[in-house]
Amino acid sequence: MTAVQKRVIINKIALALSTFSALIALGFLFWILGVLVMKGVGALNWNIFIFEGAPPGNPESGLKHALVGQGILIGLATAIGVPLGILAGTYLSEYGKNSRLAHTIRDISDIMMSAPSIVIGAFVYAVVVMPMGHFSAWAGAIALGIIMIPVILRTTDDMLQLVPGELREAAFALGAPKYKVILSVVYRGAKAGILTGVLLGIARVGGETAPLLFTSFNDNFFTTDLNEAMPSLTVTIFNYATSPYEDWQQLGWAAAFILSMFILGLNILGRVILFAGKKRK
Amino acid sequence: MASIIDIKEECALHVRDFEFTYKGATAPSLKKVTMPIAKHSITALIGPSGCGKTTLLRSFNRMHDLYPGNSYAGEIEFEGRNILGAKEDLIHLRTKIGMIFQKPTAFPMSIFDNVAYGMRLQGIKNKTELNDRVEKALKDAAIWKEVGDRLKHDANGLSGGQQQRLCIARAIAVEPEVLLFDEPTSALDPISTQGIERLVIELKERVSIIIVTHNMQQAARVSDYTGFMYLGELIELGETEKLFVTPREKLTQEYITGKFG
Repeated sequence: MTAVQKRVIINKIALALSTFSALIALGFLFWILGVLVMKGVGALNWNIFIFEGAPPGNPESGLKHALVGQGILIGLATAIGVPLGILAGTYLSEYGKNSRLAHTIRDISDIMMSAPSIVIGAFVYAVVVMPMGHFSAWAGAIALGIIMIPVILRTTDDMLQLVPGELREAAFALGAPKYKVILSVVYRGAKAGILTGVLLGIARVGGETAPLLFTSFNDNFFTTDLNEAMPSLTVTIFNYATSPYEDWQQLGWAAAFILSMFILGLNILGRVILFAGKKRK
Repeated sequence: MASIIDIKEECALHVRDFEFTYKGATAPSLKKVTMPIAKHSITALIGPSGCGKTTLLRSFNRMHDLYPGNSYAGEIEFEGRNILGAKEDLIHLRTKIGMIFQKPTAFPMSIFDNVAYGMRLQGIKNKTELNDRVEKALKDAAIWKEVGDRLKHDANGLSGGQQQRLCIARAIAVEPEVLLFDEPTSALDPISTQGIERLVIELKERVSIIIVTHNMQQAARVSDYTGFMYLGELIELGETEKLFVTPREKLTQEYITGKFG
């Protein structure tokens, strides 16, 4: 056997092994999605959107409470996390640049991005839930908002840095003050990227359960009171799926399906926006 | 030493013993540059890479101030004052001394908004006035025929040459006294280059122009005065025709005949 033939064979083995591994990994992914779709779609019906939680056995039970609760939590978390993340990212890219402070913030943010979310939940429990004396939607939203910040901060920083320096200089050369350069030129140039970062940030917290367990806790009934415990899809999935009741388990599947589709949709939308933004240039 | 001619016309800018040092550098990048810049004419700056011509150009609108730590010495006189003063209003200065960059810098917005950008910064909100002045600027920049019917389109859809003319329209819309061109055609094809050169020559009726170029032929084609720079010094400033035909400095002669570059 010549050296070349030997290399060709090694190449084929390596290719076969890596293809096989990829198929196994994808296999699990599609298995999970497949089960979720089959069980989830089967459990979907209009009642889910009309009725709130009810004791097991009651045919008039649904997920309205959890869907609305999830919406409120994510909405509030976005209102907290997005402005902070974008402003902090703007500081890093436009003001801090390569200063020591900016590098420190970037490092801390990267560490925060991989911090276990339950730790952030515990933190919010200590600084919000304990002083208030009870669980609340505010506490849950603050926990989710904190988790969102590093994701949005980093994408904003990266996307703003992609805007060419000449564009900033051109705006300055027309007599623009710095804040106007950022607002009217830099943000516009990075619009698609920042929006993608926001969507990915929302998707990142959409599936969080741990930080909600001891912040917004849970409730089986419909509520819009931000000072009280608030139901969420994730905690509801946990409670219903681990319950012994067949109808609650069904609702759990439906909730899991809806949540997964929401997060998948956000991720796809984020990528589409980024791709469309790139193509335009 | 350097041979700098006295110009007959009135001066738009007058540089005297100007020195510029970049942040952290031990020696100045520009050494004792003295140079008059004639009003309503075109002054070209030529010289090999790293000779300081762009550094000098970017001093006229104090672009270096965007990056802290750089320092100026000497004097640049404009409208009767030294613009290097600490109290100089840079925003006002930059509306008077505009700049066109090497790469076209169309902002990510519509063609109309690009041209209206500088005027809006000055607080002009009146729709009719904006419309009129945008149209006039685009006509003056010889691009109205191509974009007049699609002002709302994204400026990034234009070709490189069109974008560069759009940038010129944007700069002249605020009616500056001086326009600085930093190798405005080095990223463009020959036909677009020709268009820009013709435009630059037309514009000198209204503004004083300083153009940095790598291309000696370009300097010879468009400019009235040419300054030759080498290692941070202005070696010679003269009428373009004379400088290229009978340079007074040996270095200038060697450079324009291609002995180094």
